[in-house]
Amino acid sequence: MKMQPAISTVNLTKRFGGVIATDGVDLSVSSGEIRCIIGPNGAGKSTLFALLCGIHAPDGGEILLGGRDVTRLPAFRRVRLGLGLTFQTNRAYHNLTIAQNLEIARRRNSARVDSDALRRYQHAIGLFELDQLTDLPARALPHHQLQWLEIAMVLAGGPDVILLDEPTAGMSPEETMQTASVLRTLNGMGLTIVVVEHDIAFVREIAHRVTVLHEGRIFAEGSVAEITAHEDVRNIYLGRA
Amino acid sequence: MRLLHLVNGGEDLGRSRWFWIGFAAVILALVALPLYQTEFEASNASYYLLNIPLALGLSMLWGYCGILSFGQVAYFGIAGYAYGVIAGNLTETSWGPLVGSVGGLLLCAAVGAIFGYFVFFGRVQGWIVPILTLVFTLLLETFLGQTAGYQWRIGAVQLGGYNGMTGIPPFQIGNFIFQGYAFYFFALSLTVAVYFISRILMNAHFGKIMIAIREDVLRTETLGYDVRFYQLGVFVLAAMLAGLSGLLYVQWGNYITPSQVGLLPAALPVIWVAVGGRNRLLAVAIATYLLNWINYTLSEAGNQYAPVIMGALLLLVMLFFPRGIIVAIAELRWPWRRDVTPVSVQDRSA
Repeated sequence: MKMQPAISTVNLTKRFGGVIATDGVDLSVSSGEIRCIIGPNGAGKSTLFALLCGIHAPDGGEILLGGRDVTRLPAFRRVRLGLGLTFQTNRAYHNLTIAQNLEIARRRNSARVDSDALRRYQHAIGLFELDQLTDLPARALPHHQLQWLEIAMVLAGGPDVILLDEPTAGMSPEETMQTASVLRTLNGMGLTIVVVEHDIAFVREIAHRVTVLHEGRIFAEGSVAEITAHEDVRNIYLGRA
Repeated sequence: MRLLHLVNGGEDLGRSRWFWIGFAAVILALVALPLYQTEFEASNASYYLLNIPLALGLSMLWGYCGILSFGQVAYFGIAGYAYGVIAGNLTETSWGPLVGSVGGLLLCAAVGAIFGYFVFFGRVQGWIVPILTLVFTLLLETFLGQTAGYQWRIGAVQLGGYNGMTGIPPFQIGNFIFQGYAFYFFALSLTVAVYFISRILMNAHFGKIMIAIREDVLRTETLGYDVRFYQLGVFVLAAMLAGLSGLLYVQWGNYITPSQVGLLPAALPVIWVAVGGRNRLLAVAIATYLLNWINYTLSEAGNQYAPVIMGALLLLVMLFFPRGIIVAIAELRWPWRRDVTPVSVQDRSA
């Protein structure tokens, strides 16, 4: 029996004027997978991310979350259906304390936070070393921990799938590896993870499968080994294709 | 217990025992005011007090939720006029003023909800919102200004154009008419009640979401909150509080004119709120009272420059105390204060 994909798109298309930023993308991420989406600058990663989380509306195609069509739903409805997301720039509430950040993130009356999700959240708080710092304003945190705080906030909503846009940007190699290790642990606890990423070292650490975008289309897809061995992928990264 | 906990939450000034003792002393002094002030002075104090609900509404809307509005006086005017029309037509019954008050508040809620629906569900953002609220106010002023003719009569009540609506009945319940000291106590109890309800609300989860929206709309939406719904909620609440001030105003002065909805009155609440400290309710309440007192005292002394002085005050406060002067005073390290001020939630735009 084939498992239902956690998140998928069918022929997803988005144009900005004459530019086709997303061109008929068919993406399918299985439940329990860690998928990395890579591609050179301008490949359409950010647009795809914005389409998946509901910030942009697509011009064509469908987005399915756990088999349910969410193409026309606003971002907050997708979140309520089990999607979590962090942005390229950190958007934790920098002027509020860590406790306040997490309190806002724990939605009242959220039917989503079952015991698995709660376990993941509590585990992440510990791994990210946030549990001791609750009265500190978020802006006092070092950059990497601010990124972690935002991931923890997203987990507080009890998502099944999280989308992370360059979660390790600006982190040192050690911090990047630590982040990778926490994400692998959370994945082991049942969380599906989709990462839009530049940093190939990080991708090697975590990806089960890699999707390469190029000029708005899926250019290649496969395991890390397959993708890094792929001649054409190397070429587009070096600007030869 | 839970309510007490919320009253004493961190989203407003003052949490210590000494603060509450001082607070109680001030309330006591206000309650005892008839003992040491004439009825005329009490009536003036009523006027300073009755502006506070409007200011608290604007504080929640702007200071806590980040939505600046120049349109609060529109709801002040809507409630005042609606009360005048309803109560003025129901003079046969003693319940007219009560019906008029409820009608005025409901009309504010309805107009606020319709306006807010288009603004927030239309995803109007940033500086467009304050401009729209100001335009709405000025349109209302222009409309009311041209209602001078006899055809602008609703039942027995003339809208009156720029001459205004006169002879508006005072508030009354049964046969008891609220005037003089009685009106003062009425305004005082409503103001204190509104303050506590606002304080509880801003310390509750609703208040946390307000602050989250102010800090980052997109982050809040992508944590699963329907931001539009919360923005509309606080907008309607602020409209109703402005309406409450409008009701008290016409019940106090028995008179309203379109100039109450004009450009200058529209700017004043923004000054009260900013000068006090927009994300601290108590600071806003104190500043509203004091600035209305200063404004009145200056005008009474024949000083035509009251608006200029108010404007200069705003400028100075914005330059030197961007978070508000009352907040700045409250956060001074007084010598007797042992605790260090807890990490306060700063408004990013301050």
